[in-house]
This record gives sequence, structure tokens and C-alpha cells, in this order.
Amino acid sequence: MVLTLDKVPVGVKVKVVSVLGGYGIVNRLMQMGLTPGTIVEVVNNMGPIIVRVRGVTIALGRGMARKVIVERT
Amino acid sequence: MEKKEIIVAVAGNPNVGKSTLFNVLTGKTVHVANWPGVTVELKQGVKKYRGKVIKFVDLPGAYGISASTMEELIAREFIVHGEPDVVLVLADSTAPERTLYLPIQILELTPKVVVALTKSDLTHKHGVHIYVDKLESILKVPVIPVSAIKGYGIRELLNAIIDVASGKKGRSNTLVVDYNGLEPFIKEVESYITKSKALSKYPSRWAAVRLLEGDSRLEELMEKAGEKDILDEVRKIRDSIKRSTGKDPSEIAITSRFNYVDSIVKETVVRAAGEQVSVSELLKLLGKAVVDQLERIFQHTVLGPIASLLLLFLMFLIIFTVNTGFPVNVLFDLLGFTELAEFVEAYSLAGLVELTFEIISSSISMLLEAQNVAPWIISLITDGIIAGIGAVLTFLPLIMFVSFFLAVLEDSGIAPRIAVAFNNIFVKFGLTGRAIYPYLISIGCNTPGILASRTSIEEEERMSIIGSASFVPCQARLVVILAFVTTYFKIPLYQAAAVISIYLMAFLVTLTTALFIRRVIFRKKEKPELILELPPIHKPSLKVVWWLTWSYSKHFLKKAGTIIFLVSVLTWFMINYGPTGPVDDISQSYGAIFGRLLSPFLTPFHINPETSWKVAYALINGFIAKECLVETIVLLEGGDIDVDEALLALGLTRVQTYSLLVFMTLYVPCLATLAVIYMESRSVKFTLGITVYIITVAYLISLIVYYILSLTTLYLIF
Ligand SMILES: Nc1nc2c(ncn2[C@@H]2O[C@H](COP(=O)(O)OP(=O)(O)O)[C@@H](O)[C@H]2O)c(=O)[nH]1
Repeated sequence: MVLTLDKVPVGVKVKVVSVLGGYGIVNRLMQMGLTPGTIVEVVNNMGPIIVRVRGVTIALGRGMARKVIVERT
Repeated sequence: MEKKEIIVAVAGNPNVGKSTLFNVLTGKTVHVANWPGVTVELKQGVKKYRGKVIKFVDLPGAYGISASTMEELIAREFIVHGEPDVVLVLADSTAPERTLYLPIQILELTPKVVVALTKSDLTHKHGVHIYVDKLESILKVPVIPVSAIKGYGIRELLNAIIDVASGKKGRSNTLVVDYNGLEPFIKEVESYITKSKALSKYPSRWAAVRLLEGDSRLEELMEKAGEKDILDEVRKIRDSIKRSTGKDPSEIAITSRFNYVDSIVKETVVRAAGEQVSVSELLKLLGKAVVDQLERIFQHTVLGPIASLLLLFLMFLIIFTVNTGFPVNVLFDLLGFTELAEFVEAYSLAGLVELTFEIISSSISMLLEAQNVAPWIISLITDGIIAGIGAVLTFLPLIMFVSFFLAVLEDSGIAPRIAVAFNNIFVKFGLTGRAIYPYLISIGCNTPGILASRTSIEEEERMSIIGSASFVPCQARLVVILAFVTTYFKIPLYQAAAVISIYLMAFLVTLTTALFIRRVIFRKKEKPELILELPPIHKPSLKVVWWLTWSYSKHFLKKAGTIIFLVSVLTWFMINYGPTGPVDDISQSYGAIFGRLLSPFLTPFHINPETSWKVAYALINGFIAKECLVETIVLLEGGDIDVDEALLALGLTRVQTYSLLVFMTLYVPCLATLAVIYMESRSVKFTLGITVYIITVAYLISLIVYYILSLTTLYLIF
């Protein structure tokens, strides 16, 4: 089963596998540092997902988080 | 033959500390200017140093220069076509893993780079250590740690800029990033595009990578230059990469760049395990606990929105009270402290400014009368010019307070938390939580509010905000509402109810309009998605807050100031002159003629025909600037008369007053706002369409309100 970012519980660190979606969104997320192989920690998972990635905290809408495929580390 | 003037483009991610550094570098010399190569205005500031004139140009905050957003495109176009001598790229020293990406990307485009590591006063607290020398030797350009807040590193930075501009330091060729699997394809594309004229300004390797990634701007340039054949070859290569790897070339490219960043970070950055908190400093721990708690509250699904609303409510309560006395005066009145209520009102800033101008105006008119100056000149000076300046200054404190609070929210990092908290509600109206910024600013003034729509990532969301934000009652409208409400409603509770209900109605119309634009005009079904960076919550810096406050306020003064002033003088002319020259009887003036033309629209409200032209004429002036509405009515009644007397002279019923207020709140935004709507939408059709929509909606809603109130028992309480 594919794990997406919105399913990751708080406090868990995961590794980005790929980002789905249109050119603009993929580009944006990747340039913000969510490239394949990057470690992401979920800080909050109510409403928008809040993650720490590459030293920065980012809030993502749930639909957006569903497009980020991850795997457990 | 060294140049005396050095042009420096300043680039950085959002939140990297660019505005703060820009202010420290350039001080008060900042202004906006048009630049060749980019179609928008960019902020620029000048610093004189070592006999050179260094001109800094502030590029929009962007994560990359791939041209996938407007900001990125503007930044890139300036670097290529604006011909800066040096590009100063900022990287956040508390988050080098992410923010070194932009310098890398820019180094691929131009070698004339200086990297500044911002917020270096915070590295210790964050447990980050950066080996600057090593970083410098890898990037081969000067890397300067700076702190805009503490003010260090600035001199070193300026020296480095001059050295790079003169070629004494820095590199001579662009940076080559290893794109692994893409390399053979890059070579292939490069060989094709050497023939391209459209791309001659860009380094060929860079352009080749960009084309493989699918750069809409470069493609557009090539198509325009009739180089579709070259482009087709490039597209073929791109498709074959997609087929063979199953990945988009842009994904491979971005990943390669970040891999390169990672490899640099590995060699030059040490992070202490976990957040470093020195236990000895109890205070810091306490601060951290407070921040953590705040973080938790704002991120809570239920508490977040409640806390945000409370905070905003409190903020506007304070602002409104200081400015106009409302609503604290009403509260005191309710509790029976009538005198106290009057005191609050009289000593509110608006009250004080008004009083000052009354005194100035009457003493000047006495002075002029003594000099036997013609009465019409006295009237022009006191009723036209001084009244105009007074009207502008009454608004200044209002705007400054709103700006101040917004600046605090922004600088402390609370603002993005509020955006996150509102996201769940806003999504229902086809907006993300980000839309809260433009709307909040609109409560102060619609013009900067609409400009703030640029923070939207998605074009449809941006247009929804541009089209709807003018329904948010700005402070100018608050003043109109207050003037009418306090005149026509004597019971404080009704006053408050009237004001609050109008605001709520306006917000509802705003959000519904946003949804309408998204669904009906753009036919977009999917919800927009939030992407928002949350900088750490921290104590706001006074310096930064003051800068932000002043820059917002200056904007208002410049824009609104001139308009309000001109309208005051124009109104004076319109009501003192008619087709036959100067008139004594206002009903013969130009103003009356215009008003009568429009007054039939007010017939359904059963307004006394004697006065309805005055209301109509005031509405016309309100279109030029809302704050002129009350002004106009006062002038129509002869000028030297109290606001409430002037309004009472219109002879409205309370139901009429309330419905008219609904109309005045919603109908056409002021001229300046319309101008901004056009500027931002770049579409005459959209601007006109929205104007017609706004007038229609305002008219219908106020009519409905009028008939409901007239026909139901609600009538009794009025
Ligand atoms: N401690 C510290 N904070 C800074 C410094 N420069 C900027 N900041 C903070 O970083 C945040 C973002 O700064 P700003 O200049 O608005 O960033 P911009 O989005 O890049 O223009 C603000 O809260 C600033 O107060 C600095 O040198 N030291």
C-alpha cells in the first residue's frame, strides 16, 4: 500500500518518495525542499498538515499532502 | 575604468530576512521604480560607500527561478535583462539545507554573485554552525554572514559587493551542477539551441536545463521568434526522458540541485542534535514554553480559529476605540457612564484631529476676513482646502494603527498561523487560509489589500481575492457608517447592532463573491490547496515593525491623500458653481445637476425627493473615495455645520439609513481600488464586469434589506 503524507501520525519521520500533481505544484513543493529522498517530520496533523523539512516548517493543505508519497524510514 | 554606479539585484526566499536587510542597507532612500526588462515596479534603494553609488533592487521573494510563479519570473527576468553588476542572494543561516538552493540556481545563471547568510545572530540559538570559509571555497564567491537586526556583517557585505562588481573577487564562469542521468540530454539540447536567437541572452547550458524542465517563458520566447522547429526537437527529447525514466525531467533536475545542496551542507554545516536550549537560562526556556503553547493553540482545529478570531477582534476593538471612540463609548453609554462615553469620543484621535482643524479653519477665516479677502477665496481655503487636508489627516492615525498591528502579526510569525487556522473555513469558499492576509489588510484599506493578493499561489484564487476584497468594509467606510449610525440611532445597543450586522453582511458577501468568481467565472471545481511556510514565532523587532508600519502608511498617504484632497476641492467647486457661474443656491449647482440625474435610482427607497439628489451626489463622490461621502454631505449643507446636523438634514428614516448604509458599504469600491483591481487583473473586462457585479449586488441587497425591514415587525424597533 502506498503511504501518503496526510496519513503519517504526528512525530513520525518519513522519507519522500515522489510528488504527484501538475507541473506548478510539483515544482513548488520540490523547490521548497520536498524532493525524493528528503526526510520529513510531521509536526501536526489536524486540518492542514504541518511538517518540518530541511530546517523549515511548512503547512500543507490535506489534498496537497495526499499528493506526497512517502515511506517509513 | 571602474564604474561608479553598481547595480545590485537582491534575491531570496520568502522569510529569509530580505526586507529587513534591504532596509538596513538602504535606509530611507527606498522608492519604487520601473526597470527595463521587467514589466512591474521594483523597490530600489541607494547606498553610498567607498566612493561608489550602490543601487539595490529588491526582487520579489521566490524559492527558485524556474518561472513557475510570477515572482520567480520577475526575479529571473531582472537578473537576465536588468543587467545587474552583482546579484546578492540571501540564504537563511538557520535553514541552510533549504535556502542554499536559490544561490545554487542563480549561480548557474550568472557568476556575479555574493551570498549573504542572514539571521546569523540566531545560529547559536538554533544550534547551527556554518564553516563560512569552506562554503566560500566551494561556491567560489564571497559568502558573508550578516545580521540585519544586530547590524553586523554589513560593511563586509558592501566590500564584497564592490569586489565582485570590479572583478577582484568571485568567479568568472557559471556554476555547473551535475545532473547525472540528464547530462547527455543537456548536451544534445545545447547543440540545438546554439542556433536560437531568442535564447542568445541566456547561458546555453542553463537554457538547455530549463528547457528540459519545461520552462514556459523560454518556450514562449522561442515561439515568438519563429523557432518552433528547435523547440519541437527539445520537446521530443523531453518526452523520451519521461518515457524512459518514468520521471519528469524537472523532478530529476530539482532533485539533482538539492543533492548538490545536501553535499555542500554536509561539508560546511554542523547541527547540534536536537534544538539547543541552554538550560541555565531559565527565561529562554520560559519563552520556548510560551512559543510551544502558542504553536499548539494555533494548530488546534477548534482552538486555532477561535484564538485567531479573538486576537483579531481585540486588535480591531483597540484600533477603533483609539481612533473613533467606538465601540467603547457605546459600552460606557450602555452602562450609564454617559460622561465617560463622551470623553472617550471627544479624545479619540479622530475627534482630536477634527477639533484641531475646526480651530485652524475658523482662525484662518477670521484672519482673512480682516484682510478683506474675497469671500469665495476664504470659502475655498477653509471649506475646500483645509477641510480636505483635515479629512486626510483624520485617516492617518487609523491607517497607522492598522498597519502597526498587521506589522506585529507579520513580524512575530503569528500571521501565518492565523492563515492556517482559517484554512478550514476558507476552503469552503474556494480560498486557502492565505486569503486572510489580503482581507485583513482590506479592513484598513482595500488598495494594499488587493495588492496583497499576490501571495496566492493559484491564479484563480488570486483573481477571486482581487474581485471580492473590495466588499470588505475599509476604515473609510467605517467612518461613514459611524457618522450615520450615531446620528440616526440614539440607543447605543442599536448603534452597535447596526455596525456589527453591516460588517458581518459585508464579510459574507465577500466570501460568497470569492466562491462565485471561482465556480462561475473560472468554473473551477477543485479546492485550492494551502502551501505556507511557518517561520518560528518570536518577539517582534521594533525596528522591523516600525518599517512595516511606515511603509504601509506612506502608501496610504501618497495615494489616498492626494485623492481625498482633490475631491474636497472639486466638491467645493461643484457645489459653489453652476452652469451660470457662481451660485448662492446649492440646488442650482453642478453637483445638484449630477445628483438629480442619479436620484431616480433612489426612488425605491422612498427618500424625500428634496434631499435625494444630495444623497445621490454624495454617492458619486464616494466612488472617488469613500471617505468623501460624509465630507460631501457636510459641504452640501453649507460646510460650517456639524456632521450629525448635516446628516439629519437629509431627513432619512432609520430604515432608510440602515439600507443606505448597506448600499454605501457594498457599492463600487473607490477609484483607487478600481485602479488596483485593473492593475492586478490586467483585464478591462474583468474590472468592468466586477464593477457592474458589485453595484448590482449592493443595490439588490440594500433594496431587499429595505423591504424586509419596512415590511416586518423589525420595523418596530427602528
Ligand atoms: N534574529 C534575526 N531575525 C531577523 C533578521 N532578519 C530578519 N529577521 C526576522 O525574520 C523574519 C522575516 O524577515 P523579513 O525581512 O520580513 O523577510 P522577507 O520575507 O525575506 O522580506 C522577520 O520576522 C524578521 O524579524 C536578523 O538578522 N536576525
